[in-house]
Amino acid sequence: MPQQFEQPQSQSQENHEEDALAAVETNQQQQNDDQSDVLDSILDDIESTLETNAEEYVNSFVQKGGE
Amino acid sequence: MPQLRDSGTRTLHATEPVPSAEMDGFCRIFGVETEYGVAVTGANKPVDAGQVAMTMFQPIVSRSRSTNTYLTNGSRLYLDVGSHPEYATAEARDPREALAQDLAGEKVMRNLALKAQAKLRESYGEHATIHVFKNNVDSAGHAFGCHENYLVRRFVPLETIEHQLLPFLITRQLFTGAGRMTSDGFQITQRADFLDEAVSSATTRSRPMVNTRDEPHADPDSFRRLHVIIGDSNRSQWATWMKLAVTHLVLCVIEEAFRQGEPSGFEQWAFAAPAQANRAVSRFLDTPDAELALASGQTVTALQLQRQYYAAVESFLKQHADTMSTSLSNTSIAEIMGEWNSALEALAQHDYDALADRVDWAAKRRVFEALRHRRPNVTFAQLEQLELDYHDIANGRLYGSLTTREQMRQLLAAQAVEHAVHEAPADTRAALRGRFVEAALASGVQFSADWTHLTVTAPERKEAVLLDPFSAKPTAEFESLMDTLQ
Repeated sequence: MPQQFEQPQSQSQENHEEDALAAVETNQQQQNDDQSDVLDSILDDIESTLETNAEEYVNSFVQKGGE
Repeated sequence: MPQLRDSGTRTLHATEPVPSAEMDGFCRIFGVETEYGVAVTGANKPVDAGQVAMTMFQPIVSRSRSTNTYLTNGSRLYLDVGSHPEYATAEARDPREALAQDLAGEKVMRNLALKAQAKLRESYGEHATIHVFKNNVDSAGHAFGCHENYLVRRFVPLETIEHQLLPFLITRQLFTGAGRMTSDGFQITQRADFLDEAVSSATTRSRPMVNTRDEPHADPDSFRRLHVIIGDSNRSQWATWMKLAVTHLVLCVIEEAFRQGEPSGFEQWAFAAPAQANRAVSRFLDTPDAELALASGQTVTALQLQRQYYAAVESFLKQHADTMSTSLSNTSIAEIMGEWNSALEALAQHDYDALADRVDWAAKRRVFEALRHRRPNVTFAQLEQLELDYHDIANGRLYGSLTTREQMRQLLAAQAVEHAVHEAPADTRAALRGRFVEAALASGVQFSADWTHLTVTAPERKEAVLLDPFSAKPTAEFESLMDTLQ
């Protein structure tokens, strides 16, 4: 939006932009929070998987042949 | 290798030339073969995984008297050497259709596994759990595959395709790799480290990555089947769709260049040592800007190389927009290019979390980092376990959790996948195979099939040969065969 740079910005315009910027930041923060909430829920979902004997689980998978 | 030509189909071809639209245009047949790994945990006494795989296939054996059969959706289901359940999708004209068929395969395997698990629990306790891994490496380092098949026009020599496609396939893994937790750190591919031995023992270095097996399952004078074995098995729907779609575009450039007798622009990108480049790409997270040595003596990074292929495809598309737009039935070329571009953008900016909803390795990496944050003392074995769990299509939790919480992009609705479990793609030869299998099962005759043949073996032997994979139109021979099943 080049025209905005061509003329001095009024006070209200500046405030408006700051508000918009703040809104974007809040939004971003909100998204990050949402993301970590989701990741937390996912980790909760897999918690029981991690309670089993991991080494035994991994070592149980031995396949022969293929390709 | 003349023995590779379907002897029974040669004479038929002489009277049925391949339609020029298929030879001159860019349409293609896609197929995906997926080998699954089987393991059992929670049993109250030792149990043999091979035996479990046999139990999974019991319903197939009682239906077909064999562990190798074709389903009503036109796909092939079989038990491979070493007790690998394997599923090969029916012929698809579009990467989305191939994806639907591949996901149908997951469903078929899951159903077989859960039935076998119920039976297993009668003898091995209520906690016996069958794991069916759609991955490529077991705990002992045995690698197995996910193979892509592309029908390509025979006028392009296989050497040309191998030579020009391999650098693309190796660097494609930046967004199609499934990722793997190794003692050497987290790698973006499953088995770059395991293709080594095969590479050193082969006469041509690229052979084990792009197989030269030449059974076209089609008119052998017009087509060959390119068998790509370097790819990982994907859980991500986007990744399965994307690897087929982008590879299609690159193949179109190679085919057209050969048709016109012009260079494709890919000649100069051959790696000096493909296996070494493959290992370096797999360690992309450690060294994203690793310089890969080319046969020409120059060096290039994996991302730069992908950008070169992208640019070549982009300029090719400007000249062939119309013919290319009809090459795929259900995927827009602009969509593929957009996805390709944005994936490369995110990689260039090291914004891997931006890809966590569509790139398998990025999805795993994001969860692993969150887990390490929550449990700083998480063990290597636990991460390995979680990584396997992601690939377990029978009892895995991680991938299901990611999709339920809308953290993985879904390209297909559940009912589209369910549809593909029963129905073959409607616009290829698979439609005819599907009809035949369904009718043969309903009438109770003994039958057999392969990609080009449909046979009633008893009470009276009768056969139909389907040479054109692009055609869903019943031939007189096919109708006559179907008449015997009424």
